[in-house]
Amino acid sequence: MKMSKSILSVFVLCVVGSLFSCSNNDPAPVALSAIIFKDLNADYAPLVFGSPTAPPTRPAEKKKYTFFSFKTGQIVANADSATLKWDIGFRSTSIIFNGGTSGPGAAGAIVQQGLFDEIKEAPISGYVLDNKTNNQFAVSSAPFVAGVSTTTNNWWLNSGTQTSTIVSPIAGKVIIVKTADGRYAKMEILSYYKGAPANVNNLTDLDRYYTFKYVYQPGNSNSF
Amino acid sequence: MKKVFVRFGLMLFANTAAIISVFAQTSTPVDSLKELQLEEVVVTGTRSERTLGALPMPVTLLKADLIKSMGSVRLNDVLTEQTGIVIVPQINGQGSGIQLQGLDPAYTLILVDSEPIIGRYTGTLELSRLAVGNIKQVEIIKGPSSSLYGSDALAGVINIITERPSSNQGNLNVRYGTNNTLDLNASGSLIGKNVGVYLFGNRYSTDGYDLSPENFGKTVSPFRNFTLGTKVTYRLGSRTDFSVGGRYFDEKQDLNFDVLSNGISTRTYGEGKVLDWNLNPVITHRFSNKLKGTGRFYTTEYSTNTFLKKQSNDSLTYRDNFRQAFTRYEAMGEYFFNEKHIVTLGAGHIQEAVSTSRYNDQLERLQQTDYVFAQHEWTPYQPLVMIAGVRYDRNSIYGDQLSPKFSMRFELNKKISFRGSIGVGFKAPDFRQLYFNFNNQAGGGYSVLGTEVIKDKLGEFQAQGLIQSYLFDPSLLGKLKAESSVAINIGGRAEVLPKLSLDYNFFRNEVDNLIETQLVAINTSGQSIYSFRNIQRALMQGIEADLSYPINSFFSVSLGYQLLFAKDRDVSEAVDRGLVFWRDPNTLVTQRLKPSEYFGLYNRSRHTGNFKIFYRNNETGLDATLRVVYRGKFGLGGINGNIQGETIAPSDRNSNGVLDDYDQFVNGYALINTAIAKSVKSFRFQVGIDNLFDYTDPVNIPNLPGRLIYLSAGYTFKNHSSKNQ
Repeated sequence: MKMSKSILSVFVLCVVGSLFSCSNNDPAPVALSAIIFKDLNADYAPLVFGSPTAPPTRPAEKKKYTFFSFKTGQIVANADSATLKWDIGFRSTSIIFNGGTSGPGAAGAIVQQGLFDEIKEAPISGYVLDNKTNNQFAVSSAPFVAGVSTTTNNWWLNSGTQTSTIVSPIAGKVIIVKTADGRYAKMEILSYYKGAPANVNNLTDLDRYYTFKYVYQPGNSNSF
Repeated sequence: MKKVFVRFGLMLFANTAAIISVFAQTSTPVDSLKELQLEEVVVTGTRSERTLGALPMPVTLLKADLIKSMGSVRLNDVLTEQTGIVIVPQINGQGSGIQLQGLDPAYTLILVDSEPIIGRYTGTLELSRLAVGNIKQVEIIKGPSSSLYGSDALAGVINIITERPSSNQGNLNVRYGTNNTLDLNASGSLIGKNVGVYLFGNRYSTDGYDLSPENFGKTVSPFRNFTLGTKVTYRLGSRTDFSVGGRYFDEKQDLNFDVLSNGISTRTYGEGKVLDWNLNPVITHRFSNKLKGTGRFYTTEYSTNTFLKKQSNDSLTYRDNFRQAFTRYEAMGEYFFNEKHIVTLGAGHIQEAVSTSRYNDQLERLQQTDYVFAQHEWTPYQPLVMIAGVRYDRNSIYGDQLSPKFSMRFELNKKISFRGSIGVGFKAPDFRQLYFNFNNQAGGGYSVLGTEVIKDKLGEFQAQGLIQSYLFDPSLLGKLKAESSVAINIGGRAEVLPKLSLDYNFFRNEVDNLIETQLVAINTSGQSIYSFRNIQRALMQGIEADLSYPINSFFSVSLGYQLLFAKDRDVSEAVDRGLVFWRDPNTLVTQRLKPSEYFGLYNRSRHTGNFKIFYRNNETGLDATLRVVYRGKFGLGGINGNIQGETIAPSDRNSNGVLDDYDQFVNGYALINTAIAKSVKSFRFQVGIDNLFDYTDPVNIPNLPGRLIYLSAGYTFKNHSSKNQ
């Protein structure tokens, strides 16, 4: 049984892949699969919970970013901030890329509106680089407010109240990334709370934990 | 973590118009059903006395008898049972304002004897300020009526007509009920040869109610108020009448609750005070059989004063005061050319002033409005009536506004008639949107700045290096335009079976330039700075229908229903273009939102309705009612939390900021109210229960108390020499 199942899956892969090349002599491209990375901690100073009714307090932050590499699918040590090892960095709601004023690489991003699976190709140009001096970042750390936000590179909205924020990653916002070494990836942020709870309670759920889905194109191609 | 009923008076100004209010005393005791109301006289539709049945716009008339049968004591009790009207809480989750044809409370003009009641909290006029003991009738006009009334009459107009001196009589009434609620009512009327005096007094006190007893303090804190009303009429000659109306209202509320700030709960006490009064002399003169002139003067003032102190050391933690004054002069003439043509012309001047601690100083902010209006009623032949009207307002702040309206009615036969109207409504930017200078330290330190002050304030912040980043180009913040709408109402009336009549109306109201808060900048401490902008475009459309059936001379039943689609037009367009998505919070899978899945604006129910049975036997003196009022499911969003920062979970659960079929709704509910009364000679006794099955939803519907049981007794004395009622 085991045997036949794996044969079947090879066959399926080939049928899917044949749309591009199965019979070609090129090295057969690996079908890119979406990976979900869970609970990336974007703050070294987590909340401290007190009484069940009072909002949690936050100790002084260290203001350091958590770096991530799409190539390895791993978190990169903060000490490597001046290298090309990382592509994207997270600190609370701000997201930076290894390029522009944020890092030595060539990384930038474009925020698109659409379904993750429908986006089959990364644009060749138009990537925005972080620019700390004029406070323009490829992805904005500010919330999107319906009918109000003039920029379209916001990734979250407040589904709580004016005084009690709940960070909800906007459905249908896909971030197309040009990585530090010039490859492409697409990502969708799914949750900002530990364990991606369905109903966030900001009195009890730990925030600054990113869960995101991404596809990385390791080859010299802009298609996903 | 406790809510409180604090009525700070930030408000919208309600500048509007006036009417002739000298009208024929219809003293026939009338059954409540519309069937019999065709000959009733109303003034709100045209600003002069017209029979209800002939008006070409949707009008609802509620008479004193009906209000008495219902056992209502405050205006919100009366309005909540009417088709197409939903009582909604104010922005802090408390109080009650009305939603008419899907539009928020700020967009319905509320008049007493055709003069506007001022004093609105973020646009909502607190309806419980108005006692019903001196109400003769309530007239509700649906659809924009700015062509006669100017600002605020965007959804419609509610005009409360109070009693006038008509005979020598008096009435005393006591009502006592749940929550130690005591309502004392006294009224008296005296008439002489040329003079008439009507006096009304009401005292209302309640212990409030507590929907979440696990927290300290009450959902609605105890309060008590006094209302005094008077009307004096004087006949100056065979052609000239003079009247003076007046009102005085005074309310005090005891506040006791825990204030939650930065995780620390502080036991707090305080007091909230509301005061309003008005004076309204009117003179009418018949120059000839064809020409009638009216001069009106109206002056009114509204003020609130609230303080909160720490219970531990009596130190002041919060103080808020607000004062608004409104004065109007108006002259109007009505010319009856012949049976086919009536022309009405009018002009007026309004002065308004507001001062409040929330503008960061106590300086008075002033504005003036001058206006003229004209209306032509044309009856080319009997079954057809057409009314065309237009009003021009010139305001010192928001500029010019032209508001036309056209309406017509056609009577096919005695059983079937049609009516239609198209009109423009507007609502001027309020003082809050212009002059607010408010920093809410207790609520997280955000600031709200009106459009007239934001540029200077941002300049100051910039110079002090306090701005971290701009989220909106402040140069795009300019003068606010008036919110405006164009609406059509098409409906009619048909006797579908003998005696069974159907009144129906289709409405479509396109609203532009809705003023919303705009996040402008973040300061260096990460706090938001907001201002206001004309942003939103909305569409309200739907159908309302009333079926009424007088079964026999004792029983009558009615059924009312409203279907409503209330949408943000920008969101609708984005959904149609496939640009709005939703993410299932459980599976984290994102999908595109289909146009049919967009539910619409928050706080709107698609279905609302009512069913009523009235019984009246004049011989036995018994009358009874049973009313069922239904409000369908609705969404909650954009709520800022209440004063103690209690979080009300918004409906949006799938990360698109849009209310769609996959979000979490507040459940629909039905309330059952019933009352039975018996009149014996000059006495009348009543027992009633509101909200029979004790339905409550403490978090989502805090303005809905539980079951209320009451008993009342009344005595009417008459001078037999006067006209018998």
